Order: sequence, then C-alpha cells, then structure tokens
Amino acid sequence: MTYYTIRGIVGRGFPILAMTSLIGIAAGQVLNSGMDSLISMPIVLILIPALIKVGGDTGSMLGARLSSSFHMGLGNQLYRNPVVRNSLLAALIVGLTASLFLSIVVWITGKALGIGIAYSTLLALCMIAGSFELIVVFTATVAIAFASHRFGVDPDDTVIPLIATLGDLVGVSGIFFTMYLLGII
Amino acid sequence: MPYDNYRQEDDDLDYVEDYLGDYGSVRSIVREALPFELIATLGGVVSGVILSGMTNELQMIPGLIVIAPAVLGMRGNISCTLGSRLGSAIHMGLITKIENNPELTNNVAGSLLLSLLLSIVLGIVGHIVTVVLGFESAGVLTLTSIAVIAGVSSGIILAFVAVLLAIGMFRFGFDPDNVVTPAIATIGDIVSMLMIFIAAKVVLLL
Repeated sequence: MTYYTIRGIVGRGFPILAMTSLIGIAAGQVLNSGMDSLISMPIVLILIPALIKVGGDTGSMLGARLSSSFHMGLGNQLYRNPVVRNSLLAALIVGLTASLFLSIVVWITGKALGIGIAYSTLLALCMIAGSFELIVVFTATVAIAFASHRFGVDPDDTVIPLIATLGDLVGVSGIFFTMYLLGII
Repeated sequence: MPYDNYRQEDDDLDYVEDYLGDYGSVRSIVREALPFELIATLGGVVSGVILSGMTNELQMIPGLIVIAPAVLGMRGNISCTLGSRLGSAIHMGLITKIENNPELTNNVAGSLLLSLLLSIVLGIVGHIVTVVLGFESAGVLTLTSIAVIAGVSSGIILAFVAVLLAIGMFRFGFDPDNVVTPAIATIGDIVSMLMIFIAAKVVLLL
C-alpha cells in the first residue's frame, strides 16, 4: 500500500480545486468587468499575471514550509514559533523585493514594446497592490495551514491551492483598486 | 505552576530553534527562494506579454478572459500541489528514484486525472457565471474545449517538469519546498498561457 494513491489525491483534491476554480472564475469576472480599460492599457495586461502571482508564490512557499514542518513534527503552536516567524518574515522580504523588481522589468518591457508608462505610476501600482496582496494572502496562509493541520487534513493538498487562487482574486482586485486610487481608470 | 510551564515551553522553543539551524533561518530561506521568485516574476512578465498579445482572441471569444485566470490557477494549483507533495514525500524518504516508483506514478496520474475533470467543470461553470452576470459568452462548448485542450496539454508538460525538478533539486542539496513551487508556478504560467492561446486559435479555426 502506497502513502499516496490516485483515489486519495483526486478525492482530496477535487472538492478544494472545484472551490478554487470558482474563486478563479470570480477573479476572471473582475477582469471581464474591466475588460475595456485593460484592452486600452496593454501594459497592465503585461503586469497582471506576474503581480497576482507574487502573492500566490510567496504564500505557497510559506504554506509548503509550514506543511513540511508539520509533517516533520516541528510546528504545533502559532505564537512564538520560530518556523512560522522566520518563514513569514522571509516570505515578506521575497514578496516585496519581487514587486519592486517587477515594476522595473515591466517598465523596460513596455519601453521595448513601445507602450511606455511613467515609472512612478508603475512603481506605485506594483508596491501598493503588492503589499495589499501580501498582507491578505499571508494572513490567510497561516490561518488555513493551522486550521487544516488541526482538522487532520494534509496541508499540502489544501493550503497551496487555496492560497494561490486567493492570491489571484486579491491581486486582481488590488490592481483595479490601486488603478482607481491612482486615477488611471 | 503556570510560571514553570511557561519556562518549560521557552526551553522547548530554544531547543527547536537550535535544532532547526539552517532549515529555518530567514537568511537561508530568502537566499534560496528570492532568486527563484525573481525568475518567476520574469516568467510572469513573459506570460503577461503573451496575454497582451491575445487582445484579438480576448475580444473575439467573449468569456475567454473569465476562464483564463481560472485555467492558469488550476494549472498552477495542481502542478504546485504535485510539487509540494513530492517535496513532503522526499522529506519523508518515500521518493528516492524515478523508475518503478508507485508513489511517484500515483502522484502524477492523480494530477492528470484532476486536470481533466476540473477543465470540464471550469468551462461549464465559466460559461454559466458569465451569462448569469449578464456578460456575453462564446458558448459552453467553445469555452470547455479551450479549457480542456489547454488544461490537459499543459498538465502533461508540467508533470514531467515537476518530477525532474523536485528530485533534481533535492539531489543538488536544495530544499524542494523553496524551489519547486515557484519554479513550477512560473513555467506553469508561461506554458498554460501559451496553451490557452493555441487552444483559442484552434477553436477559432474550427
């Protein structure tokens, strides 16, 4: 008998992935409702997949680390837990650095493709939308990781999908909200 | 005595902190994860460029923009849970070789079956939600075909990559948890965005 079975993976994965598909479609509807401004500003289309992924990626890394530490029997409490604290801090540093890096890369890509935009706007868009996303996603990651561990679900199967998709929805909403704040749309 | 309990807990934590050593330090996590996250960001920009080159298809197939993030998300989710499970399996010592390993084949087969089932769900639900919200949709058959073609083809490609990366990274002394997930997420987005683009072109030709 193997530890991982096809039935087990599909059985545990399907309900949660069906849920994340719904959240994903919600993120898609947010994009759909802003479709006209997106078509007219292709530079934001370039930005979107990368920016919404930063939260999902760093959140997933955080989730995977918490999950492995549970598997190894290291993390049983939320407060004053070095695994949680160090992983959170590291994920935040990585996420913010990536957002900054992204603003530079997109600006250069935009220049190269001839769809330029003021760098200050791009920087503000990346950092505001990025920070908003990271804060929401990390809070959710720690909560979901501990909850699924407590209720005896393998966190590998739950945390990552929920977090990555939540990152998409929060990220897309954050981008539109920040564009509205900055007066671009 | 509450105070003693508290001291005891403190000692436990100190012990855990010593024991963790390099596994848990902020510096080591950032050092391993940041380069990959920056590469992931570059990958994201590449898929963004593909997306911004798809504006024609996005306008000709209403509803495509609705299922696109969901297909990307599903793809990333299934491949990343695969990567994360491979990471945990490697940490537990269940996976040490590629050939003739049922833990490994079950993981991959399960992921592919999930991709097929969810692509079908995505196409149908995407169509229904779009119509219910009063937006135009290209139809349930079109959206489902795009989701299935893009979802399954990218799933096969990414399963190969996830397995090779997880085992390879572990052999080269990296913690697969810090590496495989962002790497798969990046390659995943480029591959699936490309497959959505190709699927949309194919469906438009039919």
